[in-house]
Amino acid sequence: MKRLLCLVTGLALLVASGALAADAVKIGLMGPMTGSWASEGQEMKQVVGLLADELNQQGGVLGRKVEIISEDDAGDPRQASLAANRLATQGIVAVIGTYGSSITEAAQNIYDEAGIVQVANGSTAIRLSEKGLANFFRTCPRDDEQGKVATATIGKLGYKKVAILHDNTSYAKGLAEEAQANLKGMNIPVVFFDALTPGERDYNTILTKMKAAAPDFVFFTGYYPEAGLLLRQKKEMGWNVPFMGGDAVNNPELVKIAGAAAAEGFLFLTPPLPKDLDTPEAKAFVAAFEKKFGSAPKSIYPVLAGDGFRVVVEAIRGANSVEPEKISAYLKQSLKDFPGLTGTISFNDKGDRIGEVYRVYRVDNQGAFVLQP
Amino acid sequence: MEQFFQQLTNGLAVGGIYALIALGYTMVYGVLKLINFAHGDLFTIGAYLGLTLLTSLALTDHVGGFLGIGLLALMVMGLVGVIGILLERIAYRPLRESPRLSAVVSALGASIFFQNAVMLVYGAKFYVYPQNLLPNIPVSVLGMPIPLMRILILVASVVMMICLYLFVQKTRIGTAIRAAAIDQGAARLMGIDVNRVIMIVFCIGPALGGVAGMMVGIYYGQINFTMGWIYGLKAFTAAILGGIGNIPGAMVGGLLLGVIEALGAAYISMAWKDAIAFVVLILILIVRPTGLLGERVAEKI
Repeated sequence: MKRLLCLVTGLALLVASGALAADAVKIGLMGPMTGSWASEGQEMKQVVGLLADELNQQGGVLGRKVEIISEDDAGDPRQASLAANRLATQGIVAVIGTYGSSITEAAQNIYDEAGIVQVANGSTAIRLSEKGLANFFRTCPRDDEQGKVATATIGKLGYKKVAILHDNTSYAKGLAEEAQANLKGMNIPVVFFDALTPGERDYNTILTKMKAAAPDFVFFTGYYPEAGLLLRQKKEMGWNVPFMGGDAVNNPELVKIAGAAAAEGFLFLTPPLPKDLDTPEAKAFVAAFEKKFGSAPKSIYPVLAGDGFRVVVEAIRGANSVEPEKISAYLKQSLKDFPGLTGTISFNDKGDRIGEVYRVYRVDNQGAFVLQP
Repeated sequence: MEQFFQQLTNGLAVGGIYALIALGYTMVYGVLKLINFAHGDLFTIGAYLGLTLLTSLALTDHVGGFLGIGLLALMVMGLVGVIGILLERIAYRPLRESPRLSAVVSALGASIFFQNAVMLVYGAKFYVYPQNLLPNIPVSVLGMPIPLMRILILVASVVMMICLYLFVQKTRIGTAIRAAAIDQGAARLMGIDVNRVIMIVFCIGPALGGVAGMMVGIYYGQINFTMGWIYGLKAFTAAILGGIGNIPGAMVGGLLLGVIEALGAAYISMAWKDAIAFVVLILILIVRPTGLLGERVAEKI
């Protein structure tokens, strides 16, 4: 481990000295390159690397090349603070990342004290942007945004008696309470509100009880293993109520667990999948990514990291400076409706992205996820 | 009223599985006075072995659904039984003369070992059993549609429990097991090979746990490497509730726990389901410290 650390530090120093010679603008990338979220981190590196290469071919920004310095946070808060400290000493003006709210939380104060702009890509916890950190931004939406989209969808579909089910995790419960409060404001009665115990196999008791409350729509805010079982057991009971899930069910394993027949018609909210991005910028980007790596990006969060990189470059260009304060001020005040890969991007004073990012998806009879208009 | 009966059948279906796993705890405890904490993980191993055999042998394609599943169940029971015997040999027998606590710690260690071994062999993701292995048509019982699979699971559990009860009560080996449970030293003096009795107990208990794992896999579809923890805990509770060391007690305890959970969730609160079940357990133990059907005072583990 020690030797590895020496090697990494040595390499980083080498890279750093090389960069000084070229007088490049240095932008950090912090992501889970190893650990259980490694697929996200590695794709983040590919996405940001590709965008940086493209930018440098077009001459870079302010006449200088851009250089990406990446560090591994391993999806672990302790690793994240080490990675943040290493990045903060390398003269970067901004850092892109990371994935996972608790990981971001461990690093954001370090960047703030070092005066570095941070643009997180997959950290949706509300509190991250409520701390008054001047240089913190994120291209992903916040959890409360999801609650708004969920209730707007229910209202649009015209359901009148809604059941809400969560699993007592802080994320799922928060989303459920948010949705409940919003529905109350819309005068849509919530006829059932309760929690299941995650990790069990048999949810017939819950389904039976919920069925007795006779809802015409069910919103489940938990994760995909339970959602899959609920769908499967609901079908077995012969109950045809429509189900909707939050973004924690966005996983192809959902369909495997439920079976395609039981999953058909299931709705869920998520930021758009990369295959469904429809702006010209996004199409060009996905095509370039496919050309270089053989397939389209699998997850949306690395693409949101790409958007983080693009807004930082735009801010450097717009502010005509690489000083973090000026970049930060430009992002908050001057950047309006920037054409991002995942839709238009603006930031509010807290550094949160403004505008609807969530989309509604439906599972079709083949078990594929189809974007709803 | 219909909802009440529906919840009752929900509870019985879950309770049947608890009861089957509880048998393994209770048998081992009866003879060795040891809580085999690795039992929940043997249940997990049963679920994984069932899936591996099912997909690699394709038995159900060759000999039909019911016969195929039956053969598969026998294979899983055999394999998990062998693992159980090895477990006893390696983790428990060397500690037979040590203080009770050492064996409990060893059992916890074995549990962690099995859980991680399954994770390393199969990976941390969820596995899914193929669907429609058995025709799952709803059967009408008292005017209520109940899925056939549920009835099969309950019937299979009860049949296995009755067989086990008869085995222990009526056969020579069963008599030896009961003798060893009462007094190992005296049993040895009467010419009973106590080591062999313990080996048999450690074959039958895990075999039943393993087949329960396979049944959960077939019915619910989804398995993962941590599934044994929650089932093991519930089944352990069921064994205590019925009176640990007592075979009919494990049956009664399992079914009762399932029903209490279902009715508690239905009429009081779903989120408090487990809390309600454990409050009932505490109340029963205050009134009857040996459990519902327990004879001997349960010693502390």
